[in-house]
Amino acid sequence: MELRQASSATELDGATPVHGGTEVVPLLRAGLLSADTLIDIRPIVPRGISRERIGAGATLAELECDPQVPAALREACRLAASPQLRNMGSLAGNLLQATRCWYWRLNWPCRLHGGDECFAQEGEHREHAIVANDFCASGHPSDVAATLVALDAVLHTSTRTLPVAELYRLPTEDNRATTTLEPGELILEVEVPPCDASVYLKAMDRKRWAFPLVGVAAARSGDSTRIALAGVAPVPWLLDGELDDATPLPGNAYKVELAQALVRRAKTALASA
Amino acid sequence: MSNTLNVNDHLYEFHSPAGTTLAETLRDELALTGTKVACAEGHCGACTVLVDGSPTLACITLAHSVGDAKVTTIEGLREHPMVESFVRSDALQCGFCTPGQIVSAVALVEAKAVPTRDEIRHAMAGNLCRCGAYPKIEEAIRTWQD
Amino acid sequence: MARLIRTEKEVEGRYEEVWLVVEEDALQQWPAGARSIVGQPAVRVDGLERARGEAIFTADLRLNGMLHTAVLRSPHAAATVGRIDLTPALALPGVHVALGPGDIPQLEDDCNYEGVAVAAVCADTLAQARAALAAVEIEWTVREPLLDADEAVRRGQYVNDGPRVRERGDFERGLAEADVVVTGEFTTAVVLHNSMETHQAVVQWVGDAVEVHISTQYIWGVRDTVASGLGLPPDKVRVICHYMGGGFGSKNEPDDYTFIAAELAKRTGRPVKCALTRREENVNSGNRNATIQRLTIGAKSDGTLTALGGDFLNAVGWSGWSSSTEGPMQMLYACANVKTTTYGAKINQPPMKAFRAPGFVEGTFGLESLLDELASKLDLDPMELRRRNYADHDAADARPFSSKRLMECYRRAEPHWERRHEVRARSTDTVKRGVGMASQIWYGGGGPPSYAWIRVGSDGRVTVVTAMQDIGTGTKTAMAQIAAEELGIPFEHVTVSIGDSARGPYAAISAGSSTTPSMGPAVRAAAADAKRQILEIAAQRHHLEERVLDLKDGNVVSADGNLSSPLSEVVGLLEDAQILGKGARGPNPTGMQVLTFGVQVAEVAVDVETGEVWVDRIAAVHDVGRVINPLGASSQIEGGIIQGVGHTLSEERLHDPKTGRILTSGLDAYRLPTIADVPEIISELVDEPDEHLTNLGSKGLGEPPIIPTAAAIANAIRDATGADVRSLPISRAEMLRALREAELRAKEREKVGAPAGV
Repeated sequence: MELRQASSATELDGATPVHGGTEVVPLLRAGLLSADTLIDIRPIVPRGISRERIGAGATLAELECDPQVPAALREACRLAASPQLRNMGSLAGNLLQATRCWYWRLNWPCRLHGGDECFAQEGEHREHAIVANDFCASGHPSDVAATLVALDAVLHTSTRTLPVAELYRLPTEDNRATTTLEPGELILEVEVPPCDASVYLKAMDRKRWAFPLVGVAAARSGDSTRIALAGVAPVPWLLDGELDDATPLPGNAYKVELAQALVRRAKTALASA
Repeated sequence: MSNTLNVNDHLYEFHSPAGTTLAETLRDELALTGTKVACAEGHCGACTVLVDGSPTLACITLAHSVGDAKVTTIEGLREHPMVESFVRSDALQCGFCTPGQIVSAVALVEAKAVPTRDEIRHAMAGNLCRCGAYPKIEEAIRTWQD
Repeated sequence: MARLIRTEKEVEGRYEEVWLVVEEDALQQWPAGARSIVGQPAVRVDGLERARGEAIFTADLRLNGMLHTAVLRSPHAAATVGRIDLTPALALPGVHVALGPGDIPQLEDDCNYEGVAVAAVCADTLAQARAALAAVEIEWTVREPLLDADEAVRRGQYVNDGPRVRERGDFERGLAEADVVVTGEFTTAVVLHNSMETHQAVVQWVGDAVEVHISTQYIWGVRDTVASGLGLPPDKVRVICHYMGGGFGSKNEPDDYTFIAAELAKRTGRPVKCALTRREENVNSGNRNATIQRLTIGAKSDGTLTALGGDFLNAVGWSGWSSSTEGPMQMLYACANVKTTTYGAKINQPPMKAFRAPGFVEGTFGLESLLDELASKLDLDPMELRRRNYADHDAADARPFSSKRLMECYRRAEPHWERRHEVRARSTDTVKRGVGMASQIWYGGGGPPSYAWIRVGSDGRVTVVTAMQDIGTGTKTAMAQIAAEELGIPFEHVTVSIGDSARGPYAAISAGSSTTPSMGPAVRAAAADAKRQILEIAAQRHHLEERVLDLKDGNVVSADGNLSSPLSEVVGLLEDAQILGKGARGPNPTGMQVLTFGVQVAEVAVDVETGEVWVDRIAAVHDVGRVINPLGASSQIEGGIIQGVGHTLSEERLHDPKTGRILTSGLDAYRLPTIADVPEIISELVDEPDEHLTNLGSKGLGEPPIIPTAAAIANAIRDATGADVRSLPISRAEMLRALREAELRAKEREKVGAPAGV
């Protein structure tokens, strides 16, 4: 393996980009990712924070306590991962993290790994998806991603500009990817439109340092409210309706009730904000 | 990339192949075994070191990516009053997670000398202790200046 | 004088008949209460080297020429190796030796649970060993695993001879006499020890002897097992463990990794390290097995228990033992009619190992939860219900207790219990608050044999020598306190040398809450022996009779107060000579049951919409006889409670229901408590010596604090919400299920108009 430092976003040359390394390094060591060349992209990814724009290299720890950052995003960062991981992990890296589905992490030949079975559906799935789970039942673990979807943030990559929701795609038979990022494409900045109020609520198995069973991000601008959920679908889930059409698996119906309760609370919090 | 490390204000040249973690380099090559590895996956905090003052998981940090940054391990903090405070408060049992706990605790009090209970719980949540020394870790951090 | 006796020996709730050579323990106990050193808080003697990162754990050993090992383990719960080819591994750089099935008994090709060791490779670096292991070619024939413990019982597939039935009185008659009967099925999950230092050993051969550096709870047990496994005389095996990073019951034996390292070390002539990864640790280094408990309690309307019954199913795994899950039901309360049947189901899962009060943690959750359901039905105060059924002797076999101060524990817990009215009153529409309690019973008396030596030099400083281990409980510190107390010298003048079978006499296992009660009396006896010799010399030096002399605060003093001479002045005469004291652990009291007791009171808050549970406060009052080090003791209590909180709320090992493979082997998915999950903990110890037990009157404290925590929390949840949680861990799913069930029940009651509480 080789590790080199990037000098420009156009020279990634099929190398695997690494920033904080909190996802790439464990995946490499677990054999879930193989790379001949790693490229340290820290020198070329902006990390400044302003009211409207956040450098994709800003760490979660920096975002957690910056008053320019919307309340929901600060809270999502504060409740994400562990202190050390928040010190190391970048905003864009957090958006690109893979699922915590134990079958996927243990390298079972599941659909996300190109196989023809979702083992969680008939296996252990208490933490898994309750919507859009018919092909792959993994849950998306990023508190931050759901929050940026609720905030209707826009990503500026090395090649294009897109709403953060369009970074994600549900995996399909023909394309197992969960993001639309192209090889060699780097997320550089995140533009966060102003909102009147925002909130992030998270249910997890410990008081700190756990992935969301359900995370609910909500943002209000004038009369319009956007709500997005973490942990309920293979991608961050923009809520349309009330989750009445959720399709929980036998062992995770409780997550529907949990999500509904948190959505109610988020709306109440926004109404009184 | 860089094959030197600045650890506790000493400059070391190291020879581990690319892909080696900072924890492996510290322990296996530099013989600084105060930094422990308990999970090797970034989940438990036993390997916590400071990189430019910031608590960092050495077990998932690539040694070659550290560059000029200053690494501080427990060996560099042995004279810090926090060590004595941990011992005085009985904030350790088996002691395997303790160096990592102390490294995180030092970073916390460097940022705020007298953290609140909630701040301690927030800042220390990434350092797991299976013996359950937590109440006394909290006390050690509260009373480190005594 | 040495005496040969035939006696019952208890470890972790299991009994066996053994021959024992014991030495009479002639020392009188100290009077109750704190003394100048024993009973005073002491900072742990090895705290600084651990905190500074200087302590060399097995994981930190770097011996010259040391090789590293990777082990190929079965990824299947039930499978046979069809073909295995190690040669591709041997061709890779850095590789020295590869072992396969049959090379040693610990490497197998017929695998009945995930994690069975099949092959091993050692290389110059761990990375090379792992790369080589990946090159091993292996083909498997996979079988359908048996994973359902109930099904195993139906098939009569047990880890032991068969169900264990324990009965006294007439259970059916007791039920018939009851005014109220409650029943419930309780389940507990598999939980994992997760010692921070994984299981590991470094082994090297020195001549015809073998040196085993190992992270262990039992130096002498490892010595004997390694000796018999390798066909060596035990004295040709030296076992060393100066510091170890947690065990909790999982490190009582050497296990496969030690034998793998020993064989590789033999073949290479180099020191070889074999360390489990965290993933291996969490698949195959032991666990607290899952249980299903189907319980019945019958009682008179005044709360008098008339019948206790239960079917206890231990889902043991492929091997191990069927823990005494029924123990609390058998022992905790006075009840004439008790019948329990305990099944040890043999399934295709990794074997259990002792985990901090095995069986009793699980059984106390079931029993004490159902007892609160009974209290609610009878509209009786749960604390009062327990007092009314207080056992004043061991009901299971009619023996008296050597001491029991559970009633005193209840008394001291009253102020915490009384808080429940105020706590409940702080409930809101969505966050309900309540208080619950549970009692604790367990062993913890320790026993012989155990030995200690004391060395006094001419500077008056003392070294305690014994080949025990300190697994983090602080026993090394307690031994220093005991020696200093007996010798009347400052605590700082005592050094304790442990951790090496070649450097000290036999010492007990650090399990079963037995290190302090086993080792402490031996250390005191050795100190007393040394003291006697010092006073003999002092008597001659000062021309006084020995019987008027004593050691106090580092001085030789006479009864009339005329003499107070520094100890160093007397022992200074020794020059290169030394005073050597020796001591042995005396026998346990004959015909008595030696047990520990306690009570915990938990305060919780429950969000009834999201199922979130906060454990706000736990007050613990335990009776473990005399307390040696109150500081270390409070740490033990806190640690036990925190592990209990983990078991109760967040920890669970999951396996795939089809293949039986473990899914939560990483610390991302297996959720240990963090500092943010910890309640306020108030601990108190009755601290009265057990007058029948040894020269100290001390029992062990490692295990008692974890026992009642789950039940106290579950009972607090019921108090807060009316919901009957029946399953550990109390996940969001379980909490929401129980809440909705309670709501339905409440609605039913409204319909039929029944009074509340019935």
